[in-house]
Amino acid sequence: MSQRVYITGLGMISAIGNNVPESFLSLSQSKTGIGKINYLSTRYKDEFLAGEIKLSDEALVDLVQDNNSALNRNSYIAMLAAKEAVINSGIDTNDGLRTGVISSTTVAGMSKTELYYKEMFEKDDHLNVLDTHDCGDSTERIADYIGNVDYVTTISTACSSAANAIMLGCRMIKHGQLDRVVVGGVDALSKFTFNGFNTLMILDREWCKPFDENRKGLNLGEGAAFVVIEGENALNLRKGKPLAEVVGYANANDAYHQTASSPEGYGATLAIQQALKMSGLSTSQIDYINMHGTGTPNNDLSESFATKAVFGNQVPKFSSTKSFTGHTLAAAASIEAVISVLSLQHNMIFPNLNFTTPILETGLVPETSLVHTPLNTILSNSFGFGGNCSSLIFKKA
Amino acid sequence: MIKAYINGTGCISPQNSIDSDWFFESINPAKGDYFDAIEPSYKEFIAPNLLRRMGRAIKMGVAAGNIAIQQADAKKVDAIITGTGLGCFEDSERFLLAILNNDEQFLTPTSFIQSTHNTVGSQIALIMKCHDYNFTYVHRGFSFESTLQDAMMLFEEGKETVLVGGVEEHTPNFVLLNRRAKKFQEASSTPIWKSTSEGIQMSEGTAFFVLNKTKTEKSLASVDGIQTVYNPKTSADILNKLHAFLKLHNLTLVDIDVTLMGFSDDVNFDEKLKEVLPSIEKESVAACYKHICGEYHTATAFAMWTAVKLIEKQKLPRVLAISDKTPSKIKHVLIINQYLGINYSFTLLSQC
Repeated sequence: MSQRVYITGLGMISAIGNNVPESFLSLSQSKTGIGKINYLSTRYKDEFLAGEIKLSDEALVDLVQDNNSALNRNSYIAMLAAKEAVINSGIDTNDGLRTGVISSTTVAGMSKTELYYKEMFEKDDHLNVLDTHDCGDSTERIADYIGNVDYVTTISTACSSAANAIMLGCRMIKHGQLDRVVVGGVDALSKFTFNGFNTLMILDREWCKPFDENRKGLNLGEGAAFVVIEGENALNLRKGKPLAEVVGYANANDAYHQTASSPEGYGATLAIQQALKMSGLSTSQIDYINMHGTGTPNNDLSESFATKAVFGNQVPKFSSTKSFTGHTLAAAASIEAVISVLSLQHNMIFPNLNFTTPILETGLVPETSLVHTPLNTILSNSFGFGGNCSSLIFKKA
Repeated sequence: MIKAYINGTGCISPQNSIDSDWFFESINPAKGDYFDAIEPSYKEFIAPNLLRRMGRAIKMGVAAGNIAIQQADAKKVDAIITGTGLGCFEDSERFLLAILNNDEQFLTPTSFIQSTHNTVGSQIALIMKCHDYNFTYVHRGFSFESTLQDAMMLFEEGKETVLVGGVEEHTPNFVLLNRRAKKFQEASSTPIWKSTSEGIQMSEGTAFFVLNKTKTEKSLASVDGIQTVYNPKTSADILNKLHAFLKLHNLTLVDIDVTLMGFSDDVNFDEKLKEVLPSIEKESVAACYKHICGEYHTATAFAMWTAVKLIEKQKLPRVLAISDKTPSKIKHVLIINQYLGINYSFTLLSQC
């Protein structure tokens, strides 16, 4: 059952680019995608910043080239990123091997439902929006867009969703149920999530400052990212080339509060420790941590304590790339998986922007400018509402 | 091959399934074109301070989970896996309407917090102080099926006890809108597997199960296998995959004493199942369930609860049967579910 599992294709669309090459350019130029709100319809558009994809719904339709009127922003961006990953990997879903799509989302079709919800009670024009409201819709649209997909499912565990999709994909390959899986997550910006986070009072009105003593909160972002993962058997069969290996993963629960993390980061500590144990790596063998690092007072303190609990005084180099993309919720972990693979490929640590002052209690200092250094292993954390904590470990292939 | 032994169940549905002695007597009909779940008094399952804030899906799920855990006498579980197609829809709708009605002002976070799809599983973890694996699947007619697939893998990975469940709630507005979209039809005297018109009876409910890797004296039945089939082109595809699935477990259709089939009363969605029915009737005894539980994303959870009951009582109630055939024994039960004619699944249960 212990077939090795590799990442063989990357796809991503977010505030820092419409594809992986554009994203890499923004990252290596330390250019954030977070800015003034242009596309989301909200009364707060001049008061807050967000990490929007720089394309209107109409422009996305042109890119996707699918005229299904029931589609929504969530499906468009998911289809684009998933297709990029499949093309990048070079797999042929028509070759008789078993292919799965495991996606994740929290907002699903809400970005469209919220536009027409009240109207639907009066007029019949937009009732088909109901068909695409649920989380499963975008996953099936991806599957149909790719073609010849044998297995689909969707996960929603808030902001750790895509990490869990990646983890499930790896497990299904190891258990021999699938040969390869397109895994990831998607969340388009919506009034619903924007106002949700605003009422929780965890949005920063300026650029977010992960791990800074004076951090005020997060900037919301939107995006989709998918990676193709393949078992070594399928990869060898087609003589494909791995980009990275997934060597560790774990999910644990904080069981502390519905939205807040425990002060000491107990669930996070468990997830990191279990992922490390599975990888067989010691703490000193982790070269870099791509942190969850949302920029909220609660998350960054809790994650810092968890990091110290696991790594002691030998905390590896770390940063939060949410200062580039904003917090993309269900897509965050797959966006950060793509970024981690780019880090491994190019031996680059992308900086934690906007940081000046370490958190008093922990004193941890992230990398604040682009670092060129040999990287072999990366730990990536993602934590969500409901105490859901997941950690992934990637290794240079 | 790994089996999942069912050591406890809890079920809230449009029928009296909350009563552990109930065995398909006095069936509640649909309320026209939909069903409501019969909810218990939650006070005996959930502390009052928690109850006040919970939406209906959360209450139903937490209560059913609690009943299953009590029945199994499980001191702890190693994982909590929840399936839900729409999640906490009531809270989502409440927060959405507050945004739309007040132009994004004067909002409070409670309904936003509770609207998150993984709230049911998270609340169970909070109450049980369970720090282990906690997943929520949200894929239409595969939501509950995915929980079973995951649990079977966890057993192979060494976990011992896993809580799985499916939960769905609807709201008056959601029923209204779907009715306007012509998704429903009133239940009629035509048997559900013979429908010639479009529309389902929308429903809601929950069933949770404590699954164990090893058989104990509490074990009621076992889940031997689970497979999903996405968007098969023809009924022959479904039958081919079904035969292969049974073969994996060294069985053929003749060995299946009862086959519970997910006819939904919608002539289009049921088309392929209708074509499969003669093959089932020839070698097994066909039965159905959505005429009493209604249609929803996680209806397979109700079907699985039904299968456990049939195995326990060794009897197929007339109200479920499609023909006059009666099984001589009930050792193996197969569930063939379909959702929107796109998501199909096979679940195999056995006496243990």
